[in-house]
Amino acid sequence: MDGPGSSERLLNRTLERYGVWLRSTVVALCSALGVVSADRADMPLATALLAPALLACGVRLYTLRRPLPSAALGMVSLLWLADGSVVVLTGLSQPVLGGDVAEMMVEAIIGICIITFQHEWATRPWAGAALGVLGAAACELGDILSGHSPDAMPLLRLAVLGALSRAAYLIVRARARAADRSAALSAAARREAEVAAARRAAEREYLATLHDTASATLLMVSQGDGRDWSWLPARARQDLEALSAVPAFGTGSVDLAALLACVPAGEGPARVRLTTTIDSPLVIPSGPALAIFNGVREAVSNVSRHAGVREAELRAWRADDDVVVELTDAGRGFDPESVPPRRRGIKGSIIGRMQAVGGSAAITSLPGNGTRVQWRWHAPAQQLPAGTLQPPRARARTALVQLIRKQLLHGAQLAALLISLFSQFTLSLHRLVSYQDVYRPAWAQTAAFGCLAAVAGIGAFYLLRGKQIPPPVRWCSLGAVLAVSVIGAFTLPPDRLAGAADWSFGLVGWYALFLLADLRLRWFAAFLGVHVGITVIVVLLAGAPTTAEAIGLGIRAISDCGFQLSVGFLLTRLLHGTAPAAGIAAEQEEELRTRERIQEDMQRDHKDRYRALTATTVPLLVGLGHGVLSPHDEEVRLRCGVEAARMRRLFAESDAVSDALLNEVRACIEVAEHQGVTVSLAVRGRPAEVPVSVRRELVDPVAVTLGRTRSTARVTVVWTPGAVRVSVVSEDGATRQTAEADKQATDVQVTVVRTTRGASVWVEASWRQPALARVA
Amino acid sequence: MSDSGPVSVVVIDDHPAILAGIEAWYAASPRPITVVAAGDSVREAWTEPGSTADVVVLDLQLGQGGPAFGSLRRLVDAGRQVVVYSMRDDDKTALNCLDLGAATFLTKSEGRQHLVEATLAAADDRPYMPPALAGALGTNARPDRPQLSVREENVLIEWFQSESKELVAQRLGLSVRTVNSYLDRVRIKYANVGRPARTKASLVARAVQDGLVDVDDL
Repeated sequence: MDGPGSSERLLNRTLERYGVWLRSTVVALCSALGVVSADRADMPLATALLAPALLACGVRLYTLRRPLPSAALGMVSLLWLADGSVVVLTGLSQPVLGGDVAEMMVEAIIGICIITFQHEWATRPWAGAALGVLGAAACELGDILSGHSPDAMPLLRLAVLGALSRAAYLIVRARARAADRSAALSAAARREAEVAAARRAAEREYLATLHDTASATLLMVSQGDGRDWSWLPARARQDLEALSAVPAFGTGSVDLAALLACVPAGEGPARVRLTTTIDSPLVIPSGPALAIFNGVREAVSNVSRHAGVREAELRAWRADDDVVVELTDAGRGFDPESVPPRRRGIKGSIIGRMQAVGGSAAITSLPGNGTRVQWRWHAPAQQLPAGTLQPPRARARTALVQLIRKQLLHGAQLAALLISLFSQFTLSLHRLVSYQDVYRPAWAQTAAFGCLAAVAGIGAFYLLRGKQIPPPVRWCSLGAVLAVSVIGAFTLPPDRLAGAADWSFGLVGWYALFLLADLRLRWFAAFLGVHVGITVIVVLLAGAPTTAEAIGLGIRAISDCGFQLSVGFLLTRLLHGTAPAAGIAAEQEEELRTRERIQEDMQRDHKDRYRALTATTVPLLVGLGHGVLSPHDEEVRLRCGVEAARMRRLFAESDAVSDALLNEVRACIEVAEHQGVTVSLAVRGRPAEVPVSVRRELVDPVAVTLGRTRSTARVTVVWTPGAVRVSVVSEDGATRQTAEADKQATDVQVTVVRTTRGASVWVEASWRQPALARVA
Repeated sequence: MSDSGPVSVVVIDDHPAILAGIEAWYAASPRPITVVAAGDSVREAWTEPGSTADVVVLDLQLGQGGPAFGSLRRLVDAGRQVVVYSMRDDDKTALNCLDLGAATFLTKSEGRQHLVEATLAAADDRPYMPPALAGALGTNARPDRPQLSVREENVLIEWFQSESKELVAQRLGLSVRTVNSYLDRVRIKYANVGRPARTKASLVARAVQDGLVDVDDL
């Protein structure tokens, strides 16, 4: 497959949107807070710095709606500069605003920027990394310009944030790619099946067309002598047209009533008077309409050929959701059960065609009681709203969406677990060790740390094996995390809560996130509410906090838990917005690919089939169509007979029989017997499997020789271990051997030997194959 | 019996039209062939005057029962020369009849061309190979079959395919006489294997005497 799959593509897009929106929100809120809390004198300069930063965010938001002409490098670098300017301007505003609030604000903005840059620039990691470095430098610059001494800790923290953000992205992307891969695999399998089905349907349609057109015409010419042939040239030209028409893969609709109005009633003495009662209009898709039309045409010619009457009634109407077409005659009728399997008029042209397009056709007839042929097409599309899929398709899509969702969820949980573990064992561990003397008692905080580590271990145990965390484990773990939150709140002096010594305050949310990732967002939001609420209650119990304390606590709560909540929101979007969208996109791409393949294959098949005819049937039809060849000429009639027999053999190829070779031989013999030739057939030995290409070469001499026989012939099939020999002896075939040579054997495996003695000719085709697989 | 003396035949077939046809063919034979008895039951062959006939022409399918292999076996065991004359045109039946010791196996579609010759050959203990039988022998894959040369197999199959020794001879570049001798040799090889029967022994003996086969070949 070219380029990233639909899940990965949509993941990138969702993350980019999320990143830009989150960053813009944080920049807007924090900078407003910073400007408000600044001295009146610094306000203009601060505004001059922060307003362009906001503007840059706005530009970025605008490009989300209207993507730039994508890969233009100039545009991309402009965007990069806009993003870079946000962090630089924010960094520069720190000395202007001054104070702790400014420092906290700048750190919060730049921290979020560094995190979101990794998602906005997910497909250009170097650009994201460079923005990260720029942000860290701006932050440090602001510190230095504010008169602080250079400190490595904030830098390290920013580096960790950027790296974690990128790592989380990579984890989720890996899962998205896995989803795309398995979706592509199953789609490919489905595509092959659909293409194969379409090709089979086209093949059936082709054979049915051949049967109704060229085969019927040639058979008539070969049999007839001294009758009126005035209709023949036009008919031969029509046949040629029908054979050269590329099979339609059309989806349009046509009025069946209009089509049925032009069913040909036959020519000359074979003319059938049709009484028609047709409800108009009967608009149905072109596939079934053509199948019905072609089937009716064949059925009408059957009336003239077999029923012994020259009148028939054609009716068409709509019955509920069905379109029904019925052709009845009062002719001599027949027993449908007794029709030999090789006769294709009914099986191929009428029933097979209809089945291929999802309709049905039925024939009711009794000897002496006339015949009724009924076509029925059920119109499902009109019942369902546009765009509704057929059930199997819809099922496939649901499965695909579930697969993508499962993979994204798994990736998100892994990422949250990674963030949890990493934060716990770097920043939090550092704080826990540094502030041991502050905790009352210290062992409770240490136990809480161990408890979180255990939760992480249990989660990793399931997630790393690709499994979901079982509900009981989930709720126990969540209880443990909540207990850590309580311990953290009650074993710290209230004035230190959410401060530097509170290692657990920002961490607990991440644990809750990976435990609750698959549930609705409100569960996670409720947990965060309880978590923050506990801290607030403890603070309030200790007496009313000062304004500065309250602001500090508020900023902490929003920057930690607010960020976590936004990640939770992102996850919801991914699972319930991105995954279905990716499923639909994948399906649409797949449908397009399938259509292309079908179109391609059908055209190639058609060319191949037509090429096979150009050596044999096409010149005959062209000659008959333009009057160059005359049906009064015996040689022409013989050639037509040979081609008709060849076609019968071709039709027999698709019969499901155990001895395919014998079946095809019999098809040729039937044509000859129809011409009045007496043919004896004898078979010796045990039949075996013979490839279709070899069968063609083996049976062709039989078709050719019988086509040139008028008296008697003997056909034999002899199976010896390792070889099969098909032979035909014609008592008078040698007298008509002049104009047309045997079809050149293209397959060197088949040896053809011909012996002539007087009027009789003996042709034998044999095929040697050491490992001839026996048919039971 | 001399090779030109008259031959007596008992015909067992349950179809009167076939009986009539057979009698007409025999009547046209230059060497006299007399149908001494005819009927739809094997009893005709065991009772006077059928019991003295030189050759028994037996339809395998009598009445509603299966093929009359048991009747064939009893006749052969009694030393009778039996020409099996059957509607059945398959290898298995042909091979079974030959193995039981029938002089030859003919399908009804071959009757006109081959019944007279086959009857005379049976009367004289000479081999006779009609095409249907040749086809069965040429494709025989049973483990107990005699070893045939490639040429012999080819002659068998082509005789079956073309029903014309002239065509076979022309295709293989042989004389009709040579084609015949290949067919005879195969028939003797078959007589020499499988279930022993007096008819088979006399066939081989006659072939050696006529110089059709060498004793060392067998």
